[in-house]
Amino acid sequence: MISITIYRSKIVMFFLLFVTIGCDEFTAVDFPEMELTGVAVFEDSATVDAAFASIYSKLRDDVLVTGKAHGINTLLGLYADECDYYGVPGENSDQFYRHVVLPSNWDIAALWNGAYNLIYAANSIIEGVTNSGKLSESEKERFLGEALFVRAYMHYYLVSLFGDIPYIKTTDYTVNSKVSRMPEGEVFALLIQDLQEAEVLLMSANPRIEKTRPAVIAVRALMARAYLYNEAYALAREYSTKVIENGGLDIGNSVAEVFNKSSTSTIWQLKPEQGSHTWEAFTFIFVSAPPPFVALTSNLIDSFEVGDARRENWIGEVSSGDDVYYYPNKYKQVGSNNTEYSILLRLAEQYLIRAEASAHLGDNTAAVRDLNVVRLRAGLAPTEATSRAELLEAIAIERRHELFTEQGHRWFDLKRTGMANIVLAPVKPGWRDTDVLLPLPEAELLLNKNLEPQNPGY
Amino acid sequence: MKNNFRQKLLLASIFVFLLSINSPLFSQEQVLKTIRGTLSDAEGALSGVNVIVKNTSRGVISDMEGKYSIAVKSTDSVVFSYIGYKTQTLGVGNRSVLNVIMIPDATALDQVVINAGYYKVLDAERTGSISSIDADEIENRPVSNPLAAMQGRVAGVHITPQTGLAGGGYEVQIRGQNSIAAGNDPLYIIDGIPYDSRSMGFANVGATTIPGGRISVLSLINTSDIESIEILKDADATAIYGSRGANGVILITTKKGVAGRTAVTLNTYTGVARVARTMDYMKTDQYLAMRRAGYLNDGFTELPVDAYDINGTWDPNRYTDWQKELIGGTAYINDLQGSVSGGSKRTSFLLSGNYHKETTVYPKDFEYEKISVLGNLSHRSDDERFQVNFSSNYASEANDLPGVDLSQFIRFLPPNAPALYDADGNINFENSTFANPLAELEGKYFTNRRNLIANTRLSYQLFSRLKLLANAGYTTTILEESRTNPHTKYDPAIGLTSSSSSIYTNDAKRESWIFEPQLNYEYLFKNSSIAVLLGASYQKQTDKIVSHYARGFASNSVIYNLAAANSLLVQRDRKEAYKYQAYFGRINYKLFERYIFNLTGRRDGSSRFGPGNRYANFWAIGGAWLFGEETGVKNALPFLSFGKLRVGYGVTGNDQIGDYQYLETYSTTGSIYDGLSGLEPSRIYNADFGWETNRKLNAALELGFIRNRINFTFEYFRNRSSNQLVGNPLPGTTGFSNVQSNLDAVVENSGIEVTLHTENFRGDNFRWETAINLSIPKNRLVAFPNLEGSTYANQYVIGEPLGIKKLYHLIGVNPETGIYEFEDYNGDGKISAPDDRQYTVSVMPEVYGGISNNLFYKNWELNFLFQFTKRQGYNYVLGSAAPGQMGNQPAFLTGEWQQPGDEAEMQQFTAGYNPEALIAFSQYMFSNASITDASFVRLRDASLSYTLPKKGTTGTACKIYLQGQNLLVFTKFKGGDPEQLTGFLPPLRKVTMGIQLSI
Repeated sequence: MISITIYRSKIVMFFLLFVTIGCDEFTAVDFPEMELTGVAVFEDSATVDAAFASIYSKLRDDVLVTGKAHGINTLLGLYADECDYYGVPGENSDQFYRHVVLPSNWDIAALWNGAYNLIYAANSIIEGVTNSGKLSESEKERFLGEALFVRAYMHYYLVSLFGDIPYIKTTDYTVNSKVSRMPEGEVFALLIQDLQEAEVLLMSANPRIEKTRPAVIAVRALMARAYLYNEAYALAREYSTKVIENGGLDIGNSVAEVFNKSSTSTIWQLKPEQGSHTWEAFTFIFVSAPPPFVALTSNLIDSFEVGDARRENWIGEVSSGDDVYYYPNKYKQVGSNNTEYSILLRLAEQYLIRAEASAHLGDNTAAVRDLNVVRLRAGLAPTEATSRAELLEAIAIERRHELFTEQGHRWFDLKRTGMANIVLAPVKPGWRDTDVLLPLPEAELLLNKNLEPQNPGY
Repeated sequence: MKNNFRQKLLLASIFVFLLSINSPLFSQEQVLKTIRGTLSDAEGALSGVNVIVKNTSRGVISDMEGKYSIAVKSTDSVVFSYIGYKTQTLGVGNRSVLNVIMIPDATALDQVVINAGYYKVLDAERTGSISSIDADEIENRPVSNPLAAMQGRVAGVHITPQTGLAGGGYEVQIRGQNSIAAGNDPLYIIDGIPYDSRSMGFANVGATTIPGGRISVLSLINTSDIESIEILKDADATAIYGSRGANGVILITTKKGVAGRTAVTLNTYTGVARVARTMDYMKTDQYLAMRRAGYLNDGFTELPVDAYDINGTWDPNRYTDWQKELIGGTAYINDLQGSVSGGSKRTSFLLSGNYHKETTVYPKDFEYEKISVLGNLSHRSDDERFQVNFSSNYASEANDLPGVDLSQFIRFLPPNAPALYDADGNINFENSTFANPLAELEGKYFTNRRNLIANTRLSYQLFSRLKLLANAGYTTTILEESRTNPHTKYDPAIGLTSSSSSIYTNDAKRESWIFEPQLNYEYLFKNSSIAVLLGASYQKQTDKIVSHYARGFASNSVIYNLAAANSLLVQRDRKEAYKYQAYFGRINYKLFERYIFNLTGRRDGSSRFGPGNRYANFWAIGGAWLFGEETGVKNALPFLSFGKLRVGYGVTGNDQIGDYQYLETYSTTGSIYDGLSGLEPSRIYNADFGWETNRKLNAALELGFIRNRINFTFEYFRNRSSNQLVGNPLPGTTGFSNVQSNLDAVVENSGIEVTLHTENFRGDNFRWETAINLSIPKNRLVAFPNLEGSTYANQYVIGEPLGIKKLYHLIGVNPETGIYEFEDYNGDGKISAPDDRQYTVSVMPEVYGGISNNLFYKNWELNFLFQFTKRQGYNYVLGSAAPGQMGNQPAFLTGEWQQPGDEAEMQQFTAGYNPEALIAFSQYMFSNASITDASFVRLRDASLSYTLPKKGTTGTACKIYLQGQNLLVFTKFKGGDPEQLTGFLPPLRKVTMGIQLSI
């Protein structure tokens, strides 16, 4: 009996040992196989490039300047006088068309949140690269310059759409969740500062052959635009000149080439997914009438001069009975595509920036010369405008015809020149003076009181 | 570490020493004589029977062979008692051998055994709050998910379906919402194995059909295979589950084989289901009048080109009832179940199989199919020391559904919208003027799930008082789901070809194993007894998920072949590991059979937390006083057959957050840019967060009257959750929507639960029982430091429930402008969020419960269950279009403002061109006008069955039954079903008929 008891005791002991020895390390899990630590990303230039790839693919597919229906090509085309809406009544984009945008509009939230998400990504790269001990100095410069450009680019659109906004320069959420709005002027000053820094950092970097990543020339192009918007005409002229004269670009002589991926006038473009169409072509092109989503306004179509090659080449049409509907056809490839990328910055705009800046600076000759560069390429006669006022009007018209349905140029032009009210009040029954700024997303104000007050009118 | 090991070794040795020396020590009292005997039941020797000399403190328990010996005087009486058996008292007299056959007594309330997870307890002696549902309350119900069968049956448990579709999820809350942002799901344990209830569905794939893409994992458990469901609620019952017990525990026990004659049962039912309750929408005349008024109000003299419904593009005389057209079909339900069970004295088995099929109410053929198999094998060794039980539960489920739930289109379709099909039978887009909802049916949502739960339970009775146990389990769930978007979904005018067709797929696999060694020790003192449980738990779970998006196919017929796609994107490729470790224990001390103390504890470690925060301790103390057994009470209150007071207090935790949240990482986006696969920051990270803790207090009074024909329980609880784990919502300016962190906020759930079970009548031919449960929960945000400065400032108010909504307060319609007006709380002259959204109302349930009746008359049996909930809820207003815009409205919308001076309840119609009216309507949607009384009483469940009289003692037993689910709803709720989620299919009304044969 005793021996059995001992034997059994051994079992119990074994059992207890088994139970209690279970090491405390049991709960230690391996690092997730599918992820990289924040530190590891910045030890290798290939993974930093992958971090940039994520930024550009989001710009292409999701965020703000995407060619999809919720990007500003469409939304601001509808908001200004470029597009008519034929989609499901009452949808988010229809609110833009009717000028009854509500703070709860999902597209508004997507514009805002998407842009700040990329700003976080850029700030994360800036912090990671700065602290990295493994990257070479030239790699660091290239990455920092590019990240600063991205940060400035996103803020540029946010300030243009929403007015006073916070300028985010850190990844620290405790700071970023309590930020206040900053006057437009300060935002511009900060983004110019970022761009100036980027310009220096990217000076010696080799641009990509296909221009699929922003190089120093893209930084300068954006600076030229930002200066123009801020009426800093001398600087706008200086920077557009840098792009035009020193960028190694050529505006070419055919409008048919402009949206080709190998166009010599492209400054920065986004490469679509392998073999896939651009989202611009996917969103705008339709083959039967009435249009399923949006079409160009007859007002825009009628405003083209006879013989304008862009009217022929960049606009497609579909008729149904007596009705004819028009769509932007700058990008032509639907389905598979190996010839077109989505262009975000191009040379023609720089000529028009310089023309406008020159006109404001009193150099009408230079303004005429630059304006005619764009007109000649479109197969048009030289401008007849001579006075500053005539020139500015001619440039505005030229911008409308050159840049339609590209990243909201028309809307921003109407807004910055004070013409929005004059042009849109007659054609938009819902127009109100306060529409020059979009509302901040409703949820944003609920989460951060410091962002109050809401923009006027909402 | 080495030191630590030695310490443990020492502890273990001391424990073993204590165990091995105590057994010979027993009553040294002077004795007159010793009697011996063997205790048995119908199946053989019965060990562990309490043998006590009446009116003394002397007692022993029977050994493995059912043998006992005890010292007695010949004038003594000996009391034999055992869980689940009738207590017998026998005089000693001259006998020296006393053999007793114990008689099972399952019917007596005080002998009902309750499964408490790691241990079993007599219902009468339990110190914790545990509710139990038996097989006969849930079996044969025409439901595909056991949760559906539980609705309305248990006090303190609130279950809400998310959609009327089979396979859809349920929201389950036990005693309210404890956590602001971490999961509020209870812990599910199936046959001792924790079962992760988190859906593996991917919102990109399923969210348009099933809310959030959350398909319920529990539907993989066949309801008819369930023996019992226990719901553990308070700290005393849940603290032994430590960090996962905060939201309560649901224990599901499957059926086991019964030794004896081989029994075969066959059961089949078939039936129909339809949408039970819908809203009346405007008919064409009323609708068109509204639209015309809208345009007139907006200043249109000529109707614009896109006003298809009234400008003559569409036939103004058409009328379609879109509810009837889109969700008005009949779904068919078929179920076939068979089982074989039996065994010998030492070995028993059960084999059960089930086939279940449900079609949908949609216009095309869609269906849900499930096949499940349960196998169970038990064996006891000849000496009864060793026992093994193996069970395995396999289920395979296929759900074929449309890519989008058609319910969401109903309220936006004008009643005169064109025909769904053109003359040639093609989907009609009416020259691109009509977004035809049937086009959505071109897209398919398909899920296929397979689930295996296997577990083995071994036990070895080492000494008469000491038992070793080990529980080992393995679970795997595989999910394959896909949603197609063929180009044929779109208007041909867009000019798409199959090169634009796309498919989302999601393949997920979850594997989990668990090992739980345990040690059970029981000891009997003079007037008391002690039971000790010690155990450990090791669990590892891995989730692997790969999600694809593929676009562009040469033909739609190859859409399921990802290799045929022009572009293929890996959207997610995740492997997640979750490890979990715990030690737990329980000490139960019983004094004079009347005073019971229960102490439980658990030390837990979870890999979901950063290295410094992995471990924590949880504990509970509980007590019960069976005052009904006190002689004084017995004499004073003879009608009282049972009386118990129990109290419990303790701490449990919650770790329901995702894995790896404490790490700063970059993860792949799945998008390719310029030949590079993108990497993005995974989250805003916070390395330092820990458990959410939940302190639970519970007190209950249980009474039984008239030989327990009336049983009454009154229970009060107060749970406080602190150290809240939140995905703290962040404004967009941070780049992300939230960050994981602990918040020093306290949420309190308190409430009262009352249950009453009565046997109203008991005769030879007729019996009638009623069971009532009632819960009055109260939820309150007790503390929230710096709420005003936090991102929750506009969501919560201290002192108010978590379920409040802050809304605009509607004053009425301005008689001059015809526009809604709201209270200007901050007096700044304009209405804007958040300052003017100060009207608060709670949408949490205020009272809920159920009343069930069981009536037996000869061979007839009738059961019915009424479920009721009192609460406020969102009505049709939320998410609707402003009246006057294209899109239908409820028929009861009348009395709109028409001209200055009108005193109207509804603002002017607008066709969508009046910004003031639209903004006012968007505020109206988030005003108190969108909340109405959503209380209801529902005949949730009813069944009538007839058992054919059996000829002779053997032969076939046959039962025929009629079942109904959700047969009636009584509610004042405007618009559809009060439990319906806007835009998703409401709960269905089901009627089935079945037959059950047992041989």
